This record gives sequence, structure tokens and C-alpha cells, in this order.
Amino acid sequence: MADHPAVEVSDLCVSYGSAPVLAGVALTVPAGTGVCVTGENGVGKSTLLRCVSGLQRPDDGRIRVFGAAPGSSPEFWAAVVTTVEPPTWYPGLTTREHAELICRAHGQDPDDAGVDEALERFGLAGHGDAIPPSLSSGQKQRLTLAMALLRPSSLLILDEPEQRLDPEGRDTVARMLTDYLSTGGSLLMASHDDKFAVASGAAITTMESLAR
Amino acid sequence: MTVIVSLRPVRRWIHQRQVSHRERGATLGNLYFAALLIAVLGAVTHKQISKIFWPGTPDLGILPAVALGLLGAGFLLMAMRATGPVTLGRPAAYFLLTAPVSRRRLLLPSLRLAALVAACLAALIATALAGHAAPHAVAGPLIAAGALLGVGLLLVAVVAQRAHGWARVTDRLATALAAAGLALLIADNLAVRSRPATGGWLSRPLLVTLAGSLAVVVAAGSALIVRDLARTPDDRVLDAAKTTGTIFDTAFGMEPSFVTDLVARRYWSNRRLRSARPPARLPVLTGQDFLLVRRRLPRLLWLLAATPIPLLLTAAPPWVAAVAVLLGAMIAGGTTTATVNTDAGNPVLLRLLGLSSRAALLQRLRIPVALAFAWSLIALVLMQVAGDLPGGQWFLLSVPLGVTGGVAAVRRARAGFVRNDLLPLDTPMGTVSTGPLVHAFAGPDALILGVPTVVAVGQGGPLTYTLLLFQTALALIGARAYLAGTTDPARVELRA
Repeated sequence: MADHPAVEVSDLCVSYGSAPVLAGVALTVPAGTGVCVTGENGVGKSTLLRCVSGLQRPDDGRIRVFGAAPGSSPEFWAAVVTTVEPPTWYPGLTTREHAELICRAHGQDPDDAGVDEALERFGLAGHGDAIPPSLSSGQKQRLTLAMALLRPSSLLILDEPEQRLDPEGRDTVARMLTDYLSTGGSLLMASHDDKFAVASGAAITTMESLAR
Repeated sequence: MTVIVSLRPVRRWIHQRQVSHRERGATLGNLYFAALLIAVLGAVTHKQISKIFWPGTPDLGILPAVALGLLGAGFLLMAMRATGPVTLGRPAAYFLLTAPVSRRRLLLPSLRLAALVAACLAALIATALAGHAAPHAVAGPLIAAGALLGVGLLLVAVVAQRAHGWARVTDRLATALAAAGLALLIADNLAVRSRPATGGWLSRPLLVTLAGSLAVVVAAGSALIVRDLARTPDDRVLDAAKTTGTIFDTAFGMEPSFVTDLVARRYWSNRRLRSARPPARLPVLTGQDFLLVRRRLPRLLWLLAATPIPLLLTAAPPWVAAVAVLLGAMIAGGTTTATVNTDAGNPVLLRLLGLSSRAALLQRLRIPVALAFAWSLIALVLMQVAGDLPGGQWFLLSVPLGVTGGVAAVRRARAGFVRNDLLPLDTPMGTVSTGPLVHAFAGPDALILGVPTVVAVGQGGPLTYTLLLFQTALALIGARAYLAGTTDPARVELRA
């Protein structure tokens, strides 16, 4: 895994109907580093992230994640975490149980994985018994990020993680992403907040610079 | 080396947690209610059901039976393609599809359920066809073969979901099956009129052998599909999860707009459009609808293919065909009324244009009325040519029926969301929510303006000019009253 870049994209083309969104996009995220893609609305940041996650089929181009095609295998999802899809919550499960589910689905013991600490760190300790739909949009975003960082992974693919977070929340997330990178993880994210991206330890690149 | 997490304990844990939060006995209560509902409905409708599925003697020719079989297979394949068929619940798609678990084990329950549903639906169709067209002694193997063919169609749909190249071929196959079925039905109705075939059927042992051979083929195909189930791409499973989730939302929330919104969003996201200017002589909103109708060619073709449907209802009382013409006109008129739905939900465009609700509705009515007119004109001409209508120039009624269909389509589009704040009705079978009922009739209720035509066709007399005049006056007065009663020159909001 370490022999390959975390993400390698070349000649990526995607269009919606007659509107081309990505045309000949190329991007490399070396393993153990972070890259933040910026650009105006509709420039294709989320589409790029969805393709790298294997949750959208590109019209053309080549994508490799740790040297293999993305998606559809347990190996891929053991290494990759993504927040490009908004979560849909299980009816009748609490906030804490959703976090616990993430641990169980990734073969971790919930007690050892530190579910309570993660909820505490994201300011959700008092909402452990609430159902996620009753949380505010900012709290749901915190829960999504807490779950993403709770499970073991080698690559984080985050779509505007700073969205709906208050300044304190942004600082917390940025610190955690820096820690993630320092332990050998790789990061690919899209963001509109350059300050947050820098604080997260990611190198900033624009979508315009990625197109041929 | 990645450790694959065992899926069963995770699923069991989710189930246990959900059950622990549920009210004690809630599941049993739901099961009891479902069983009671089935028992009551069965008791009330068992005679009608037996007539539909198992008449005393065969009464259908072999040609219409084949045609209905093709139609059933086509629509079943289309339904399976639209829903996945390999899918997951939306929470499972988020939490389990992105986990290091066995893809085959993750997707297998969905495939199993889809196979069961496909087999049951195909067996139902086969039962009806065998009951109507075959000697009852050979119905058993025919029904079994039908169920197996249903599973076979499911396997085709699963391959199409997995392989991009097969998807288009399968969709075209489904359309071709349905179109061939419709064409055969029309041919039988107009020319052949085949009678029930009492003899000439294969013997029961031979049919059993054929069904057995089919079972072997389907079993082999199923084994191959299950072996490669893990190769179903994540993006396809995710799409299917969103679709089935929306269908469940619609079913539980009794809110059909969830599905129609999803279908419309997917339809337009896959279309390659080129910006164009509507004809300058048309009012602005009519021009917008004109562009829309030009971009909905597939729907227009389907509507055209559906114009002979009233012809196929000759076995029913004559008024049924007249009601079918009215309903068809309303559906044809609905080709462009998504714009009315948008305006009714959010009148921001009307505010930008500075249009009153009356002016906006007048402009929005034109294309639906024109489409409803064209549909009823073709349907009535076909019925007249086939000799299904008594003497007179019945096609002249397409003008008032066009107005009626257009008004009904626009009224339907303005209905908005289901109102769940309406008082429920207490019935011996339980409480019935009136909101969905009121919503279901918003639109079709305007077809009451076409009652004179329905009565005239039902009575079987020739068309008189008095009826033509009365029907035209009623449709025009009704449309005028609808405009006056539901819009205001001093109001922008279009909601009914």
C-alpha cells in the first residue's frame, strides 16, 4: 500500500447531461500527505471526490487508490473513509449506537475504540441517547466526522468538512486532521475555507490547476 | 491483508438495538393488523379475485394470452430495472456498504427478496393467463414455468445492473416486450379476434418436463449470479438504495410526489439538452411548456402507443372505454404540468415575471389542453375506425374532452403535497386517513366535466349535435369556472 500514492487520477472526464463538469482532470495525493481541492461552486470538487470514492462512475479516465481501482471491495473500504454521501440514520438507533455501529462494522471493540471519548471531543457527549435526526445540522456534521475518525483508515475523503461547524468546531476538526496526517494517514478533501485547509495540514490546490 | 468483518453479528446487533427501543408488542400488533386487513379484503373481494385469476372456463384466445404475457414480462423487467434490483436500505448503504464486509453476504438478502417478489408476481400473471387461456388441468406446470421465468428476468436485470453495456440492451428489451404485447393485443382486437383454444395444448407430463428444464437453467443462472454478486458496483447499489428508500417513503408517508420528483430528477439529469428559444409569438409560460414538450419525445411516443388502449376494453361495458379516453387525455395533458407543480409549490418565477395566478394559469393551460385534445382525437378516431362507437362524428368530442383533460391535468399538478391534517374517517376496518384520498382525487375529479360523453357512449346511441353542443358548453363553462374560482388577477400564488 505504501508503495503507491494514496490517490492517482488522470484524464478524468465527467459530464451531467450536456454539461461537462470534469475534463481531463489529473491529481496525485502521495501517501501520508493531505491535499485540499478548492474552487468555486459547481466546478466539480464533489464530483471528483465521489469518483475517487467509487460512488460515481466517470465517463472516462483512470483512478487508482493505493494502486487499485476504487470501490466495491472490503479491502477498499477497510482503507478509505468518505463523507461525500450524507448519512441516512437507522430508525430507532441513538447517536451513541450509530457511533458504536461504525466500530462493529469495522471489526473494532466499541469500548476499546473510544466511542465516548470521540463523542466528548466533538461536543456530543450530552446527546448520546438522542436520535440523530433530532440533532442540529451542525451536530449532525460533528457526528458524521466523529464516526469518520473513529474507525481505522488510511485515507480520508472529506467533502467540505468545515460546513455548518462553528469556529471552535472547525479548530477541533482541523487539529484532528493534522493528528491523522501525522500518524501516516492520507487526506483528500474539498473546502471553501483556505484557513481551515492550512490548519488541517493539507496542501491547497485549485480545481483549475488540475484540469488539462 | 484486510480482515473481513463478519456481517451477521453486526446485522443482529442493529436488529437487537432497534427492537430494544421499540414498544413491546409493536411488531406483533403490526402483524395482527396486516393479517386482519388481508383477511377482511380477501373476504370482501374473493369472488372478484377468483374471476380475475381463475374463471370457470377458459375465455381468452392464445394470441391475447401471449400478448398479455409479453406485456407482463416487459413491465416486470422495467420495474426490476427501475428498483435495482440488487439494493440495500439507505442506512445500510451508508454504514455497511462502506465497511470491510463480504459484498456477497451484504447483497444476498436483497437478491433473495427480489427473487421471491419476482417469482410471486410472475406466478400471479401466469395464474391469470393460465386460468383464462389454458385447460385447468395443465395450469400447474404453466404457473411454475411463469414463476421461473420471473426469476430468469430478475437474473437478466441483475446482469444489466452490473454491466453498463447490458443495461441499455435490457431496457430496450423490456420496451420491445411491452410494445410487442400491445401490438399483438391491438392486432387481435382489430383483425384476428382469436377464440379460446381448448385443444392443441402440450400434455401435462411434457409441460412438467419443460418446467423442470427451465428450473435447471434458472438454478444454474442463479448460481452464477450469486457467485459474481460481489462485482455489483457500489454506485449502482447506492442509486438503487436511494430509489427503494424513496419508494418506501412514498408508501409509508402516502406522498407520491417523492417518487415523481426522483423520477423527474433522474430523467433530466441524463438528458443532453441544448438551450433554445421558444417561439416569440407564444406567451412566456406557454413557450416554456412548448420547449418542455419538445424535450419529452419518449413520453409522447408512449402516449401515442397508448392511444389504442380504449379499443382493448371492448369486453367491458362501453362506458369503461369512454372513461379510459378521459383518463388518457388527462395523462397526456400532464406531460408538461411539472412546471405548474413547481409554480404552485414556489411562485418565485411568477413573481419575477409579475404574472397574476390567473394569467399564469391561462398560459399554462394551453399545452396540456392541446396534448389532451390530440390524444383524445386519435383515440376516438381509432375507436370509430374499429367500429367500437355508434354512428356520428365522435372525433368532434375531442375538443371538449381536450379542455376537460387539460384542466384535470393542471388541477392534479396544483394539488401539491398530501394533506395529513384532514380529519380521518372511522370505518369497520380501522381508521382511514382522508388526506391521501383527497389528494388521489384532485385532478381526476375534474373529469366529471366529461360525464355527458361517458353516458352517451354507455347508452350506445349515435352522437347527436345536442350532445356535442352540451358537452362543449359544459367543458368550456367548467374550465372558466375553474379559472375564476381558483385564481385571482390580484394574487400571484398558484396553489389550488
